[in-house]
Amino acid sequence: MRYPKRIGLAAAAMLVATTMAACGQDDGAASAPKAPATIPELTKDPLTLSFVWFDWPPAHALEAFANAEYTKERSNVTIKVNTVPNANWHDAIFTQFAAHKTDFDIPILDSQHIGEAVTNGNILDITDFVKKNIDVKAYNPYLLAAYGQFPQAETGKRDENASLYGLPLLGDTWTMIYRKDLIGDKPPQTWDEMISVAEKCQADHPGVSGLAFHQANGSDAAAVTYNTVNGIYGGNLWDSKTRKVQGVLNDAAGQEAMDVLVNKMKPLTAKGSGNWFIDEVNAAVAQGKACIAFNWIAASGGLLDPKQSTLGTTREQILDKLGFAPLPSQKTNLVPLGGMGMHVSAYSSTTKQAEALNFMKWFEQADIQKKWAAAGGVPSRTDALESPEFLNAQPFNKVYTDSVPRMRDMWNVPEYARLVDIENTNVNAALNGAKKPKDALDDIAKEQQGVLDSSSRKGGGGL
Amino acid sequence: MSDPVPLTTDHPGQVASATPPAPGRSRHLSDRRLTVAFISPALLLLLAMSVFPLLWALYLSFTDYSATRGGPAHFIWFENYTAILTSAQVHLRTLTTLIYVIGAVTLQTVLGFTIAYLISRRTHGRGLLTTLFLVPMMLSPVVVGLFWRFMLDAQFGVINSMLSSLGLGQVEWLTRQRTALISLIVVDTWQWTPFIMLIALAGLTAVPKYLYEAASIDRASEWFRFRTITLPLVWPLLLIAVLFRAIEAFRLFDLVYILTSGGPGVSTETLSFHVYKVAFLGFNTGTASAYGILMVLIVIVLTQLYMRYLNKLKED
Repeated sequence: MRYPKRIGLAAAAMLVATTMAACGQDDGAASAPKAPATIPELTKDPLTLSFVWFDWPPAHALEAFANAEYTKERSNVTIKVNTVPNANWHDAIFTQFAAHKTDFDIPILDSQHIGEAVTNGNILDITDFVKKNIDVKAYNPYLLAAYGQFPQAETGKRDENASLYGLPLLGDTWTMIYRKDLIGDKPPQTWDEMISVAEKCQADHPGVSGLAFHQANGSDAAAVTYNTVNGIYGGNLWDSKTRKVQGVLNDAAGQEAMDVLVNKMKPLTAKGSGNWFIDEVNAAVAQGKACIAFNWIAASGGLLDPKQSTLGTTREQILDKLGFAPLPSQKTNLVPLGGMGMHVSAYSSTTKQAEALNFMKWFEQADIQKKWAAAGGVPSRTDALESPEFLNAQPFNKVYTDSVPRMRDMWNVPEYARLVDIENTNVNAALNGAKKPKDALDDIAKEQQGVLDSSSRKGGGGL
Repeated sequence: MSDPVPLTTDHPGQVASATPPAPGRSRHLSDRRLTVAFISPALLLLLAMSVFPLLWALYLSFTDYSATRGGPAHFIWFENYTAILTSAQVHLRTLTTLIYVIGAVTLQTVLGFTIAYLISRRTHGRGLLTTLFLVPMMLSPVVVGLFWRFMLDAQFGVINSMLSSLGLGQVEWLTRQRTALISLIVVDTWQWTPFIMLIALAGLTAVPKYLYEAASIDRASEWFRFRTITLPLVWPLLLIAVLFRAIEAFRLFDLVYILTSGGPGVSTETLSFHVYKVAFLGFNTGTASAYGILMVLIVIVLTQLYMRYLNKLKED
């Protein structure tokens, strides 16, 4: 019986050792570590600077652009943009943050992810670095704030004293895509007009649906759609000062927005479009199945590719039929803020952190921003946004420049992932007939309030 | 020089302890030590990869720990368990999972056994047919989910295209409450019916032929032979297959993730999908651990009850 005892002791010892190792990761409450104001000396050894983003055309464009241009300055550096499916984007980054070890140096975060990353100490505080190396006056203040500031900036305002944790990588907003051959060259100016034009177009052209927009319950698809309509009809997502959602989101304006979305817009969409997101909306437009569609500008490039479209055999033919315009206004002219910022992983080596800071400084230069625009990116510097390189690169780029002063973002609090899931699932339920619109809106307000009120730890968190 | 060790023996079970160490082997390396040496790597791997994570999850389930927020884990005892067991959200997902498990496993059992019965009656091409039927089971659930998602697409999918050509209207397979859950059951059935079929086929081919011959001599009807010979002999094996499928279906995640993302709303969110959201959207690790432990407990208790019934069936 000696051996079983020894085996038991060995097993117990291993369990204790592994437990100690696991316990060792609890290193107290986190806060974002500071990046140096001056870029430390860069290595001359071969180095791979890794990004992580979700899989879409701008990610591939960034890798090609950075390897072509950044290597002119830093020949020993290779840029690798790792991609994950959109639905896994948040999980892929934050599970590595949870392990306190990342295989990326520059995480590209959605603007709303900043709060979670900052409060957990996952990304560097680059306030001092920005002060010393970045010309902040070159940007619309809200763009600089949206992709880097925490706590969040109010719409259109940047707190000069707030800390910055990221810099803009890719700007974005929704564009209205409309069929010039079906509804005319002049895009609708108000939301109500847009709905009636879509209604008429659908009636006049059997087989073509009036509208196409994001309705899926994955990522932030349905939530962004509701938030857009909410903003246009004068609603608010919450009162950020009092952290109140209940009674704010589901006030009269919020209910009107939900009514417009579910009862006026949804009947104009294709049957079974309740799980559509970026690709499905693009497919509907490219196949000539929608009169008016809404999509992110950065994802619209493929619409002009004759290989992917049935609207024409050349780019010019497609452009004869497709028009791009800023969103119509109604009670307000707000548009959703999209795009992402780049940040520095707190778990990268100091050598790679230094390289990441150098890359950010390089990327935010005026001439590089214009080159990024020419390469298919959406820059954030005002001079680049107004440059011919950007405005002439794509027919929808002017939509972005015109939309910048109209942008509004969602919350970027640490509870963002849960807030957006609550909104996504409930809006998706309302759009697909699984809930009444008013019930869905009231449930969003109640559940989101519950999340914000229970931020302090207790049992059953997350249910 | 010692005598050569015999390669065979009339009593193989007694050889291991009675046989002296082979020539060249160290005197200290007895058979028992050798056994321990061989078992240890697998045992250590099992402890590190299965036992420790389970115990660690059990510990975390009594705390408010969050993997991303860091900081020490505070003991909150049974608060996570109480919250889960009393949560209306969890009750809703339990009902969805239950409907799914019962629907999918029942359908798979009926279809799997029927196919196996029909194949077992064939003398020619049985191997080829069995292999063809097994193909869906060999595919990754993610791949299966993706191509069924395309096939079930209301606008561009081949299923609706076929329905249209038959003069039937379009069906919103994945975006309506009832059809979405039915679609999940159908896709899971498409993939896993072969598993039940395979086990049922093994049971059917093991039924002694002389029983059927005796029944034929007694001029027993086809139905009588099926009811009194085939079914009773295959039943225990079939129940084991049902048990495996029920456990698998209970923890369904991948098909939901790919096909419906739990929608419309949360109407196809299973327990596993909900645990994933609790664990990774808010990183409520303590709650997610308790949720997982409860799911394991449910499976263990139900399996025990099931095994007892199976043993009783054997004894009878």
